Amino acid sequence: MIREGVRRFFNLALRRRDQWEREVEDEIRFHLELRAEQLAAQGMSPEVATAEAVRRFGALSTSRARLLDAARHREHHMQRTEFLADLKQDISFALRTLGRQKAWTIVTIATLALGIGATTAVFSVVSSLLLHPLPYPHSDRMVFVYQEPGTGNQTGISVTITPAAPVVRAWMQSAHAFEALEGYRSGPVSLQAAGEPVKYQAAEVFPTFPAFAGLQPILGRMFSAQDIATHAHVLLLGEQLWRTRYAAQRNVLGTSVTLGDSTYTIIGVLPSRLRPPVIGDDSPDFWMPLDVNDNNVGMMLLGRLRPGVTTVAATRELDSLLARSSSARADSKSVAALPFRTRLAKPSDRVRFRDSLTMLSGAVLLVLLVACANVAHLLLARTAARHRELSLRAALGARRGRLFRQLLTESLLLTTAGAMLGVLLGWIGLRTLVAMRPSSLDELRVAHLDTTTLIVAAALTVLSGLFFGIMGAMQSADNSAQNTVRSGAATSPGRRSERARGALVITEMALSAMLIVGATMLMRSVSNLQHADPGFQPHGLYAVDLDLSASRYATPASRIAVVTQLTQELKQLGTLREITVAGDPPNSMSFSIGRFEVDGETPPPASTTSFVEVKSVQRNYFRTMGIRLLQGTVFTDTTAQAGQVIVNEGFARKHWGTQSPLGHRLRIAQSDSEPWLTIVGVAANVATFGPTMENTEPMLYSSLDDNAMKTPSIIVRSGSGTASLARVRTLARQIDPHLPVTIVNVEDRTASSIATPRFVMRLLSIFTTLALVLAAVGLYGVMAYAVAQRTHEIGIRIALGAPRRTVARTVMLRGAVLALVGAAIGLVAAHWGTLLIQHELYGVPQSDPVSFGAAVIVLLGAAAVACVVPTRRALAVDPIAAIRAE
Amino acid sequence: MPALPVLKGTLDLLVLRALNWTPMHGFEIVSWLERAAHGALEVEDSALYQALYRLEERGLLDAEWGVTGNNRKARYYRITTAGRAHLRAETKSWVRYAETVTAILTAPRNSLAAGDAA
Repeated sequence: MIREGVRRFFNLALRRRDQWEREVEDEIRFHLELRAEQLAAQGMSPEVATAEAVRRFGALSTSRARLLDAARHREHHMQRTEFLADLKQDISFALRTLGRQKAWTIVTIATLALGIGATTAVFSVVSSLLLHPLPYPHSDRMVFVYQEPGTGNQTGISVTITPAAPVVRAWMQSAHAFEALEGYRSGPVSLQAAGEPVKYQAAEVFPTFPAFAGLQPILGRMFSAQDIATHAHVLLLGEQLWRTRYAAQRNVLGTSVTLGDSTYTIIGVLPSRLRPPVIGDDSPDFWMPLDVNDNNVGMMLLGRLRPGVTTVAATRELDSLLARSSSARADSKSVAALPFRTRLAKPSDRVRFRDSLTMLSGAVLLVLLVACANVAHLLLARTAARHRELSLRAALGARRGRLFRQLLTESLLLTTAGAMLGVLLGWIGLRTLVAMRPSSLDELRVAHLDTTTLIVAAALTVLSGLFFGIMGAMQSADNSAQNTVRSGAATSPGRRSERARGALVITEMALSAMLIVGATMLMRSVSNLQHADPGFQPHGLYAVDLDLSASRYATPASRIAVVTQLTQELKQLGTLREITVAGDPPNSMSFSIGRFEVDGETPPPASTTSFVEVKSVQRNYFRTMGIRLLQGTVFTDTTAQAGQVIVNEGFARKHWGTQSPLGHRLRIAQSDSEPWLTIVGVAANVATFGPTMENTEPMLYSSLDDNAMKTPSIIVRSGSGTASLARVRTLARQIDPHLPVTIVNVEDRTASSIATPRFVMRLLSIFTTLALVLAAVGLYGVMAYAVAQRTHEIGIRIALGAPRRTVARTVMLRGAVLALVGAAIGLVAAHWGTLLIQHELYGVPQSDPVSFGAAVIVLLGAAAVACVVPTRRALAVDPIAAIRAE
Repeated sequence: MPALPVLKGTLDLLVLRALNWTPMHGFEIVSWLERAAHGALEVEDSALYQALYRLEERGLLDAEWGVTGNNRKARYYRITTAGRAHLRAETKSWVRYAETVTAILTAPRNSLAAGDAA
């Protein structure tokens, strides 16, 4: 520690360059004069004495330069020392001051931390999923390439078609818009090891895929085009599997593995940094060749556009290439001939969470704004309260720059603490968010704390610290020193800052109101979804899905035999109340593609093609599922010749309005010889995909087609839960030990569709609560400050006989006014803001009075809570003490 | 006997010693040193100022402009607490060093040899 006197001197020593240079010159001159005088006194002539003085000093040309250099060195060192000493003093002073007002400090730091934490967590997700979804070079030019029905998609969901190999070939040969196109397929494989087969994830890619992703095998080589052409059974291991199962041994190269019924030679290992182009998927365990010349496969397609090529131009090129290749082939069965339209999607477009994430980012920004407003007025209120201290110190001679620096140090200290805690909270928040993700949002797994976000959050806090610090400093500088000291008033904050704080609280209230409206609407929407009538009875319903695609089930007869046998045995169990068979699992869709004609309506132009959902079911499907039949009957004749169909209510409404559709005919025609189908019944709309999915779209039920039934589903209603279902698997194994059987709980599957909206609702509720608490703290601060400031006035009033009730009312009223004005502004903004969440809502009107009303009530409630303590403090004012205190 | 050049590092010590009783300006220090050494030490005047600036930088001295007896402006140097402590410590080690070296250089030849034998 440097002595006080030294520092005083150092303060003087902070001088401009010419000043200390002159001082060195002065000192030299003074010395030479004294020396010359001394020598002259010893009898030298003045000229000789002067020359001798200079000689003794040392040649002036060099010695002066040396001294100036030494002095410069000294000045710099002292400046540094003083700066550090001041900083140390500022910091220890700030720590002491902050320590004296613990509650205030904690509230401020917590406010900052919550704001920064929430922002960091959410924007880390945004950054991981929307900004950098695929970790490949030039990811800004990456697009997924897929197809969708060209016209007449009547299924109510968006249908994505993965391009078939011939299509991909046509594009790869001729498309100029892309630098590269990469196919990708993935699926489970079972590794035949000693004992049980083990399930692993395998991916099929082109030989160019690692290079496309900017990576290389870490061991061995990638398979080549040659390997694919010769159908070589080769594969590469994923690094993870290589390390865990093969202990990272280099001699795995050349050894073989058996996957399913084929044996492959291991030729290399690919790093686990090589991510699959499926957001949220782990790097696969096996990388296998994907043969683009195999006409039977379809694949996910990822492309890198050439620089400067727009997605529109690229789409147009791919479409025209397809049109050309299909007209070149007379073969109408060619996949290219189907009426598909090319679509390109940015990787971030494929994130299912996208819209919700955008909305949540908005919400979290509002929270950050509330936090900022809160910190602003916490700092303002404090500067006002310390006004006297600052004025006094200014009057005692503290330089303004020094006070300014000190306030700045304090603010920066606060914000730094807030930022550090905020990063910690952000990390915890992100981990929690990822941990509580529903299975429908598995891609959240890849979210990680993002450095850019961290830097932005840190910069934001440092800037806000500087800004608020300066604001406080300016305010104190505004009021002249003498005024305050002379008036002796405890504080004289000035109308302006009081108004500023009021405005800040109103802002916070308004922002909170917006969030409350949004959160309430989402809550009501989720509740609506939970209570929505799905049109069938999901409780106790299970689907036993069979996969009959194996070659031993090539004939319809063999398929019917196995399904019939299994159904019979299930019936004999006696524990299943209902059993029916459908052509597809209940939670899947199958379409008929063709020209859709209704007898009696003008037929659509010959070129149009529709996608119509058709479910192939048995007669008792409706009873088993609990679907109401609104008109007509179930099938009376199940033969194909009878052509009986049942339509859903949406279908009937669309074509016949309120009239009965019974007896009307329709067909989905691939050719004019297609037979007509007759409507015999109308079933209620059902939402087997869950209530979030549109269920009024037209659909047909046809009698179970024995020819189809490659993936039939035996639907059962079990009275005794899952216990009896354990037997189902055993029975199936007895019939065919290799038959793949999947048992699905239909109720769970249906309910899981609400998981995403519920997750979003929960997050928004958390943010809303945060904002509300912060806003309430803000209001509390303003009210407590106002009461403290008016202690004198309140004392006089009470002394003059004002009833305490009136005093309480004054305080509460001011709080209520601030809250109400904020609420009013917030509701107006919310009315516009709800447009942003409209697509997330189910059965909640855009100007939902309940949600808006709730916002007002919750805000007023929070305001009341915030005013309780200040009001009680006002009531506790002792008039005598209050008046004497002045 | 011609005047000796001051050994490196000892000038700082001598300056601190000079200022140990009372603050002085540069020329007073030079004069004091000349008197105290009876002309046996040779110090270039500018080297003294360099030493002063160096000591000031290290916080062992501080300086202030003042007025001399006959009303002339001069820069007065004063030893700081840190300077005093430094002087005490350095004096002690200098004396020990000088004594040791002196003892070795002036000892009779046989006493050294006896030391070797023992």
